[in-house]
Amino acid sequence: MGLLGLNSLLSPRLFGASGVVNPLHHPAKAKRVIYLYQAGGPSHLETFDYKPKLAAMDGQGMPESFTKGQQIAQLQGKELKCFGPQYGFKVFGKSQQQICELFPHIGSVADEVCIIRSMQGEQINHDPAHTLMNTGSIIAGRPSMGSWILYGLGSEAEDLPGFVVLLSSGRGGQNQPIAARQWSAGLLPSKFQGVKFNSAGDPVLYIHNPPGVSTKLQHDSIEAINSLNKIEDSSVHDPEIATRIAQYEMAFKMQSSVPGLMDMSKEPQSVLDAYGAHPGDGSFASNCLLARRLAEKGVRFIQLYHRDWDHHTGLKTNVALKAEEVDRATAALITDLKHRGMLDDTLVVWGGEFGRTPMSQSGDGRDHHIKGFSFMVAGGGVKGGLSYGATDELGYAAVENPVAVADFHATMLHLLGIDHKRLTVKFQGLDARLTGISGSVIRDILT
Amino acid sequence: MRWTLFCLLLAAPLIQAEVSFNRDIRPIMADTCFRCHGPDKNARMMGLRLDIRDEALKTTKSGVTPIIPGDPDHSAIIERVFATDRKVMPPASAHKELTAAQKATIRQWVAEGAKYEGHWAYQPIQRYEVPAGQNPIDYFIQARLVKEGLKPSPEADRRTLIRRVTLDLTGLPPTPGEVDAFVKDGNYERVVDRLMASPRYAEMQALHWLDAVRYADTCGFHGDNVFPAWPYRDYVLRAFRDNMPFDRFTREQIGGDLIPNATPDQKVASAYNRMNRTSAEGGLQPKEYLAKYAADRARTTSVVWLGSTLGCAECHDHKFDPILSRDFYSMEAFFADIKENGLVSDRGSKAWGSLLALPTDAQRIKQKDLEKRLEVAKKALDDKAATMTAKEQQWEKDVLVAYNAGKLNWKDQRPFAAHSQNGAKLTIYNDELVDFTYYDGGTQLGERKPGGGVVIASGPNPDNETYTVSFKPGEGTWTALGVHIVQEDSLPGERLARGADRVIVTEVDAEMGGRNLKFVLATQSNKTDLSPDVPAMAAIDGDPKTGWGISGPGDNNDIMLALRLAEKLHTERDSVITVRLHQDADIRRATIGRFRIALSDAEYSWPSFEKRPKSESPNTGYLDTKEKKAYFEWMTPELQPLVVEVTKLEADLAILEAAIPKSVITEATEPREMRILARGNFLDESGPIVQPAVPVFLGKLETPGRATRLDLANWLVSDKNPLTARVYVNRVWRQFFGIGIVKTLDDVGSQGEWPKHPELLDWLASEFKRDWDMKHLVRTIVMSATYRQSSAVRPELEERDPDNRLIARQSRYRVDAEEVRDIELAVSGLLVEKFGGPSVKPYQPDGYLATLNFPKREYAASRGDDLYRRGIYTLWQRTFLHPSLLNFDAPSREECTVNRVNSNTPLQALDLLNDHIYVESARYFALNALKNGKIDPIDWAFEHALSREPAKDERTVLLGLYKEALNEFRADPKAASEFIHTGEKPVDPSVKASDLAAMTTVTRAILNLHETITRN
Repeated sequence: MGLLGLNSLLSPRLFGASGVVNPLHHPAKAKRVIYLYQAGGPSHLETFDYKPKLAAMDGQGMPESFTKGQQIAQLQGKELKCFGPQYGFKVFGKSQQQICELFPHIGSVADEVCIIRSMQGEQINHDPAHTLMNTGSIIAGRPSMGSWILYGLGSEAEDLPGFVVLLSSGRGGQNQPIAARQWSAGLLPSKFQGVKFNSAGDPVLYIHNPPGVSTKLQHDSIEAINSLNKIEDSSVHDPEIATRIAQYEMAFKMQSSVPGLMDMSKEPQSVLDAYGAHPGDGSFASNCLLARRLAEKGVRFIQLYHRDWDHHTGLKTNVALKAEEVDRATAALITDLKHRGMLDDTLVVWGGEFGRTPMSQSGDGRDHHIKGFSFMVAGGGVKGGLSYGATDELGYAAVENPVAVADFHATMLHLLGIDHKRLTVKFQGLDARLTGISGSVIRDILT
Repeated sequence: MRWTLFCLLLAAPLIQAEVSFNRDIRPIMADTCFRCHGPDKNARMMGLRLDIRDEALKTTKSGVTPIIPGDPDHSAIIERVFATDRKVMPPASAHKELTAAQKATIRQWVAEGAKYEGHWAYQPIQRYEVPAGQNPIDYFIQARLVKEGLKPSPEADRRTLIRRVTLDLTGLPPTPGEVDAFVKDGNYERVVDRLMASPRYAEMQALHWLDAVRYADTCGFHGDNVFPAWPYRDYVLRAFRDNMPFDRFTREQIGGDLIPNATPDQKVASAYNRMNRTSAEGGLQPKEYLAKYAADRARTTSVVWLGSTLGCAECHDHKFDPILSRDFYSMEAFFADIKENGLVSDRGSKAWGSLLALPTDAQRIKQKDLEKRLEVAKKALDDKAATMTAKEQQWEKDVLVAYNAGKLNWKDQRPFAAHSQNGAKLTIYNDELVDFTYYDGGTQLGERKPGGGVVIASGPNPDNETYTVSFKPGEGTWTALGVHIVQEDSLPGERLARGADRVIVTEVDAEMGGRNLKFVLATQSNKTDLSPDVPAMAAIDGDPKTGWGISGPGDNNDIMLALRLAEKLHTERDSVITVRLHQDADIRRATIGRFRIALSDAEYSWPSFEKRPKSESPNTGYLDTKEKKAYFEWMTPELQPLVVEVTKLEADLAILEAAIPKSVITEATEPREMRILARGNFLDESGPIVQPAVPVFLGKLETPGRATRLDLANWLVSDKNPLTARVYVNRVWRQFFGIGIVKTLDDVGSQGEWPKHPELLDWLASEFKRDWDMKHLVRTIVMSATYRQSSAVRPELEERDPDNRLIARQSRYRVDAEEVRDIELAVSGLLVEKFGGPSVKPYQPDGYLATLNFPKREYAASRGDDLYRRGIYTLWQRTFLHPSLLNFDAPSREECTVNRVNSNTPLQALDLLNDHIYVESARYFALNALKNGKIDPIDWAFEHALSREPAKDERTVLLGLYKEALNEFRADPKAASEFIHTGEKPVDPSVKASDLAAMTTVTRAILNLHETITRN
């Protein structure tokens, strides 16, 4: 369909257009990010951080030297007992990375991934911890990392938003709430906000024509609207009108591109099987596949939330359930990107808002924990097969190369060609930035 | 003197005139020097400080003198600023390069004697003289334009002007009649007076205030549950409508509860202090959250009244302004008397802390009456029961025996037929296996077992339903019927209903062999649960408006309704009983997800004896005293009439009390200790304790004892504080010109912008603080010629003043999010105007709240008129703001916002095109256009939306669209019918579907025009 005849007037990339970091501060390794956000706080002790000493001390009192004066969530005032890892670990790949036996597929790509075992947070409850992890601040209203990146780099997507959010829920356990604040543009204009794609109902809100309106009539209507807007523009010369015209064109394009993108039924069965995806089921696996499709279209920042990692009780059963839900798909995504030659310039991140205590809660669970937890990153200029940082022998505190949230943000921006100190916006008299007043690039994990 | 200087400066290119520290130097230094050489002693490098003259003139330990007045050649800062090697300041690592012009300015300033000035905003407000007979706004604006060699624009044409002022003052467009009247008589002042007297004026003005004080309807953290805040919003609305003086407005919000003999209104006003986000997340550390709440209040109060970024001082002394960390915590200390907990409970009897009930007079009278009658009835029951103690003791023994023998068990029925009235699919599971999930003490459990008669609803999910179930109980004699609602984890809210956060059964009826069964008494399990507004008796009271259920949120498990039959019911082997569960509540989808029907053949079984999930060992502790008493009364025939009377009165009273609005308020208590927290760390208790105080650089409060919130409020609106009036008028200015006199509305400190028109800002501030008359301020602005100018862009202005800061013309910009909605609804005729009241829920796509939890949420839109209210009344869900508001840049109000952004996105286009409310607006608009009977419908609609007639080419476009649409809809009547049935407003059958659908296509295009949502 000849689209309204106005394309030549304007850049089609209206969601992000070109970014403010132009040229880049330094050559970029990564062009885009796929962020597999494991919400609820995955236990590092049953994923990436092997602690035999903790196993040996299972059931014994947690030495007070570790815990004195530290923030604790639900275990406040309770007796603190060591809770050994509930699963064994195996050594994977040439790089001999240690990964929990529940994650053999991730293990199969061990040589592609870098495991950071020394993450540290500041906020011990879900909501503020998410906000810190996403925006670098606990005060609401700061842009999320995806918005910062879109603001900095702009979008390469022709007919899609540059920052897309996908959500999935887990089986069993508690699916903790996730607020839209986590992908908000905050003090940046709303065109930089993350756009949530839904697996059920409208894939994007209001993407479908009203009942009874055909594609042709929708097209004719938009054409009429734009003709009238053009008439107005010819007399008042307001650049906002030209933008409005272009946004209506973009809206129309999205109406066909988004449902097409969400429809994965044409993916080969072998690909669906590799991810464990069943089109339309809204699972983490399907979202991983969707993420790859979005990445191919040039979407800058793709964030998948998988909820349900909040294992205060029944950790053994529930972690296994999570592993079933995410292990295969995570590995498939990395492999798929690699096969398509996209892993080199796509940064894949896997991690939650915090980790979990080496101490038990209710005898069979773990409480929130911010002193040391694990992240996994791959592609986009990060060394594969590397383990970086370490917690102490009980997995309590990061003792070697601790990585703060701001350090992680600084590194992510660095890989994208951005100096985190120079991506700023004036707000309340300050040069607000994702990394606040801190942040150092973790040089050791870069290729 | 400043005025002369000001004029002088304008007369010549900047660099040649005398440099002003405040205007020219401070912004440079604040951006490039003060970070390391400013007020923050911890960040200071080389002991060198440039923000204070005495310090900057001192020779440092290393022997250099930063500034020697009049001698730039020997001043170290000049050497460093002009350096080309690594000595250059600011250093390369700061990424802050000075321009040649900036360097020259600094040099000139040192040469001229390095005169410092205090920051403008902290100086007393000056009132500059204005020649008699001149509008002061025009005087200052035009004086500046003259200096710039620019001319103001002519007055806008009357259509544009009335549209602008009507939108700005009321948020709604003028009607064609109003436009015509003004075009004829040109009496602008009369228009302004009319608009400002309208309650719509308050609805528009309140928006901006509500952003600033971060008013919302939900608590913001974690479960983000709804809390009773809307009476505060109504207080704000009334304050604007009644033109409450701003000083009183300030006092009542910050310290209304402390005013002697505070009125309910004043207490509600004090809810300002309760608008911070709160959390009920289990496992939070109360101290941490108390620190968060306190910091939030200090930040908000300082931005709203002081335009100050005091929040920066939470962790460290301010880097650019003379604000100390101590000032931040001293500000917090004013609010230390607020009674609150770190964990603010969002459910149960202690939910939301301090509340105030706000009954109307009629409610109060009725409440008293019911209370009195209930007391009498209870006494009668107690008296009678007291005569039966012997019987009760015997009963207690008997009933325990009967219970242990299983004789009190309810007999679950196995239905053979179940159907719904409105389309939900009902499936019966008798022997078939079902996955049951339930929560026990916060832990989710699951079990797969035979359904045992459970009926499960699935598929279509209509707003209301009636379920009809038939079963054969077999031979027996029955005393009571039970409706057992079974929880399921995938359901929202209490995991009982299919859509709403609660389940409501409005009426239960049953029949056997064509004979209706009569119920006399109803009770429910979980008597202690707090669902008083949906009492059991309401299920059999014959009133389809009232109902029984659970009004959550609470930690309910399965619940059971037990209905006492009026007389014992005998059934034969093949008798069929049919039960109908009517679920016609106003709340949508408060419909049952899973249920069983049970019968009791005991001499009255108690509803708590329904089959419980296995983990809840049934009543090993038997019943508690209160429940035991209720049970005894329920089962004793002699007490029946009295029990029925008490239960009915309790129900009436509960329904009444639930209808009485409540508001969060501030309650004062013994102030808690406030310390300076090093780097904001709540665990660090080593910091000094602070007392309430205003920022030291702004002065000191003289109070006999500990200063209170009221003292703070009084100081904020006193002559001693130069900021409040400036900051407020600056924000109001933005409402009428699109940008503040100081662009940075949240920061008038040294990092903020220097005012474009300082004399005007001060004049307005001085005028405002005379009587703190909010309407006078607005009226002064809109009456000015400056405001009334045309917004047409002139080529010379586009070049000289692209951002329109000199205001040689008016501005064009898209209206705010709420106004977008208001315009669409008003123009179409759908808008329902009602001033104030509980927040409403317009349509919202299903699943939008899917990632909320505690409890799970599905959205239930309001009904009828409440679907068509103004945007300001939309329920403000902080973590998931209504998408239509969010798309048009409404803030989440998690934090104070004084400067909404204004963006232009494809999501906005999708929203206006496809959101059902806007399609419904279009079809209602089309109907009105077709039925107006006089003018051509296209012209009629165009004029209603845009306050002008369409030009010929515009008309051609719309007519072309109409014809295309008409062809299409004539060929496809089904599509036409679907299109015009969008939304809930009934369809007028007198208009032909294809005609209406075609005209709806036209009105939809009109409602999507840029001009429709633009003020200019």
